[in-house]
Amino acid sequence: MYIVLFSMVTCLSTCYCLIDDGKNEKHCGPLKQWFESTSVSVEIGKKGFHREVVTTVELSPDVVAEVNVLLIYRWPRGVYLDPYQLAAESDQRDWQILLNSDIDLEVPAHKTSGFVTYVYPTLDGPSPRLLKVTIPIHGRYSEPSFIGKTFTSVNIEPPELLLRTEKCMQLNNLDPHNVMDAPCTADNSSTCSWVKIQCQQEHAPVSFQFPVGDRTLVMPVCGGTLLVTVICCVALSKYMWKHHI
Amino acid sequence: MERLILKLTEKHVLYTTSFAIRLALVAYGDYQDRTMAVKYTDIDYHVFTDAARFITEGQSPYNRSTYRYTPLLAWLLTPNIYLSMVFGKILFIVCDVLSGLLIYRILCLRGLGSERSLVTARRVSSLWLLNPLPMGVSSRGNAESVMAALVLGTLLCLEGRCLMRASILYGLSVHMKIYPVTYALPIALSLRTPETRAENTERWQWRRFIRFIGSFLNTELFLFASVAGGVFCMLTALFYYMYGWQFLYETYLYHLTRRDIRHNFSPYFYMLYLTADGAWSQWLGLAAFLPQLILLLVASWAFHPDLAFSCFLHTAIFVSFNKVCTSQYFLWYLCLLPVVIPHLSLSLNQGVGLLLLWFAGQVILFFVLHLNTTSDMHRIIAHYKLHRD
Repeated sequence: MYIVLFSMVTCLSTCYCLIDDGKNEKHCGPLKQWFESTSVSVEIGKKGFHREVVTTVELSPDVVAEVNVLLIYRWPRGVYLDPYQLAAESDQRDWQILLNSDIDLEVPAHKTSGFVTYVYPTLDGPSPRLLKVTIPIHGRYSEPSFIGKTFTSVNIEPPELLLRTEKCMQLNNLDPHNVMDAPCTADNSSTCSWVKIQCQQEHAPVSFQFPVGDRTLVMPVCGGTLLVTVICCVALSKYMWKHHI
Repeated sequence: MERLILKLTEKHVLYTTSFAIRLALVAYGDYQDRTMAVKYTDIDYHVFTDAARFITEGQSPYNRSTYRYTPLLAWLLTPNIYLSMVFGKILFIVCDVLSGLLIYRILCLRGLGSERSLVTARRVSSLWLLNPLPMGVSSRGNAESVMAALVLGTLLCLEGRCLMRASILYGLSVHMKIYPVTYALPIALSLRTPETRAENTERWQWRRFIRFIGSFLNTELFLFASVAGGVFCMLTALFYYMYGWQFLYETYLYHLTRRDIRHNFSPYFYMLYLTADGAWSQWLGLAAFLPQLILLLVASWAFHPDLAFSCFLHTAIFVSFNKVCTSQYFLWYLCLLPVVIPHLSLSLNQGVGLLLLWFAGQVILFFVLHLNTTSDMHRIIAHYKLHRD
């Protein structure tokens, strides 16, 4: 009796799993295809210490409209994002951003570390397959160079592209390396499983330069500065003393 | 042209015109902010507004990073949140026009009382009222005009011997920004009991010294010091009670110990940047402080009978020899310049020449610093500026 009951339960559960797997395959299957025809590229706009990172994401034409997109940027310590600027300009753009830590706006590059941001673009723009995200970044001052360099390079890695659909809930049959947990939305209230898209064309990091001081000149600079200030101080003091009221 | 100048410098026309131009600039700023990529409004204005928002939410204004001012400013700007973002700018342009009025009143008190001199006073005060620099700064939402009004108010009350009001305004201005603290010495020297000729010829040096120290012990100076000190301490104690150590650090200690390695107009900038993490950085900071101290002492002693001129020199020295200097610091002494202009013996050519040099320094520094060419250029230009000063 128990054997019959057990075999019935087993049979039913297997059937259910097969049905569920079928549904999951229907919704999650396209995610696997999207790996092949999606590309992410990064360009740097503007000059000087205040620049823009322009990310262009070309999604596969098969991507369904309900998909959620997440770009994870790993910023080097040579740059920072101003959270107040991002908040003030939030109504002028169609993406949301989440920062993983507090950002000190003033500390020099060698006294801080990099940070991560999660960017959530929306797909309801005029061309939903082509996403463009422009993030304003600012250069930090770097430590003076000990070997006489006048510029230092900062490399910006292209962001990781992650996708998720509400319908594809079980990602177990995808390669575990391609599935990662990240905040579902920019308000950071819950965590979801996302599929990391390995783009066909691997773009190299973009690099740009910020000026740095030349530490080898420390003696002439200090000597010159102090000498000039002392000369000015003495000359002005003499002049003021001579013409006192 | 002469008639136009005369018409423009008529009292009511002058104040109405200068206020209307500033108001128009505020309106234009709003338009530019909404339509163009380059914003008109100063970044500091957003800092003040964010801090005011924290106050309306019952939090500390220092939760806004880079807010390094008295909480009083954030309190003053809470209508930015309750009424309109433009409130603070209107407040600043009102203070700006008020500064022009105070300049005029000081000039009237400083011996320009006759009818013809009143016209001169109005013309000189129009150098501030119709000056595009303070117009731009206040309409962009920078709070320097509040400081200008407080400092000029202090000077006006001191010139008019209204010591009580002067000391309250002085205490308030030192609370708002720490730089007028250097005026304490020329103010004390001007308020001490004057020495008589007989005392001056005294043979014994130590007796003269005791008499000199004794000349500081008078009712006027005691009243000024106690009221100004009282206002300052009361405000400090109140805000310390409300916001704790962070208030003291961000408002005062940060500015005293500040060593900003990011580019600025200070002649010491490149030296301090190169030596920022070095063992002798502290000593260099001290060495940079000495010329400033010596010049402030000499200027106080040499020009204390003319308090306005002494304060002008103090501010100019403090700004030029400071370890950090940004363009807003220039307004600290520019607001005092019209007060001293009628008493200068400079010819028009000399004056215009110096003004052009000042602008040339600004323009070169602006292009070099803001276009971020090599840092070596920063050093050269910073030294050039020092030579010029």
